[in-house]
Amino acid sequence: MSRAWRNLGLGIIIAVIIIALTPYVWMFLTSIKTRVDALASVPKWLFSPTFEHYPKVFIDKEYLPLVGNSIVVALSSTLLSLLVGVPASYVFARERFAGKEDLFFFFLTTRMAPAISVVVPMFIIFGKLGLVDTYASVILAHSSFNISLVVWMMRGFFEEIPQEIDEAAQMDGNTKAGTFFRILLPLAAPGIAATAVLCFILSWNELLYAMILTAFESRTLTVGIPGLVQPHGTLWGQVASVAVVATLPIIIFTFLVQKHLVRGMTFGAIKG
Amino acid sequence: MFLTPALILLLVLLVGPFSYMVGLSFTDLSFSQPDHDGNFVGFLNYRKLMRDDPIFWESFLTTIKFVFASVGTEFLFGLGLALLLFNIIKSQRVIVTLILMPMMLAPVAIGLMWKLLLSGEFGMLTYYLRQIALMAPQTAPLSSYKLVLWTMVAIDVWEWTPFVTLVILAGLMSLPKEPFEAAIMDGAKPLRVFRDVTLPLLRPIIALVMLLRGIDAFKEFDKVFILTGGGPGSATELLSIYTWRINFRNWDFGYGSVVAFMVYLVVLIMCSIFYKAITWKQGIEEIRT
Repeated sequence: MSRAWRNLGLGIIIAVIIIALTPYVWMFLTSIKTRVDALASVPKWLFSPTFEHYPKVFIDKEYLPLVGNSIVVALSSTLLSLLVGVPASYVFARERFAGKEDLFFFFLTTRMAPAISVVVPMFIIFGKLGLVDTYASVILAHSSFNISLVVWMMRGFFEEIPQEIDEAAQMDGNTKAGTFFRILLPLAAPGIAATAVLCFILSWNELLYAMILTAFESRTLTVGIPGLVQPHGTLWGQVASVAVVATLPIIIFTFLVQKHLVRGMTFGAIKG
Repeated sequence: MFLTPALILLLVLLVGPFSYMVGLSFTDLSFSQPDHDGNFVGFLNYRKLMRDDPIFWESFLTTIKFVFASVGTEFLFGLGLALLLFNIIKSQRVIVTLILMPMMLAPVAIGLMWKLLLSGEFGMLTYYLRQIALMAPQTAPLSSYKLVLWTMVAIDVWEWTPFVTLVILAGLMSLPKEPFEAAIMDGAKPLRVFRDVTLPLLRPIIALVMLLRGIDAFKEFDKVFILTGGGPGSATELLSIYTWRINFRNWDFGYGSVVAFMVYLVVLIMCSIFYKAITWKQGIEEIRT
């Protein structure tokens, strides 16, 4: 390819990166602007920063516990999903039985199930059980989509481990369960870690289930965002501060799992 | 035995509520009437949906428009960008990850970012769009009845083009080298190679990513919820927003269950097509190896 074309291409790629990142940068800038600067009718790129919004919303408005709630929910849902999902994925990778692929497809449909439909009966059922506005309701709801993510992703990772390793381990006198726990789990650890991070991200980012199944006690950070946006007189500095805190950990995590993103986001259909 | 816990949990969490929802769709349960447990009303709710609810069908149409416009544009941009990245920087992970950022962030935060950018009074982007005269001084993208749905499409394109790019890029990297070498040996021009070799080889992957995007776009809720809440009027009332309004604003769970059931049904149908596409892709790969 000629040099000129190459430079044009690079130019486009740089433009795309700028387009992809500017909205985020702007939101971050809004979180450190005074109210007057944020509402200026001519956009202000240079201003003297203020950090007053962060303590105001997280301490005075008591948004700090929401961060804790988000962490508790995302961690518990990730753990629960791994706990039941990893052994299940191993079965799909190794065993042969009738209807296996149909069952596997059932797992896929659970991942795709529209939250807006599932949450309607869930809200009524959890309400009757007195579980609305508890951690349990959101953790279970988030596990409903994370379990199948685990099954779909981990099946691929287990299939990449050669069958001979299982056979060798069983020759050495390991039982099937022993082989799984002592030999295969450690080998699949990098895959499990990547899957865990993706589960965490999905749960952390989720809005609909969390919004409807919580009220005050177990509200997560994403649920706190719409509540701050008013028809009039929204304190944009504060909303932006919450959104920055809600997204920063995810940016770090994304860099951690970049190698496995394609697989995770396509349910393992494409290895990447 | 290893499978049982996962199965039980999913049966309890999804199949249970699903059956319950179908059951509710035959009742008139509503939380707006206190102490009313819901009576069996037969197919009344279904009849209402089919005959007396133009808003549902309008919302359905809005959703279809949103899905096709978003996914179509994302495909064109994604394919272009993937080819560009493939030819120029291959798999520079850091650069690719930077481009990917939009799709990893919480959609509700994304909605918020764009609300900041597109506000009629102080929106940064609104200001520049007016400056370069792409938009009349009085219009704002989020309150103009004509513009607002396409604004949602544009934001969705911004958020999800990276995903389409990422998947097609992964597909490009996994393609076998031989067909390309053979085509070049035969003296084929780059455009012809693309049309006759690259595109056919990519077809299964393109089908997968389009279906995945289609399903997700059909379920879109978060961004639209925070950006417009379905308005102005009902210009952006997607099916998910409509379902939310009937159930959690009107508290009409009987009729709301029918609507929720319909959304579920469409997604299930799209899912089974997706599954067919996966099997198709695997079949093609097996022939190749």
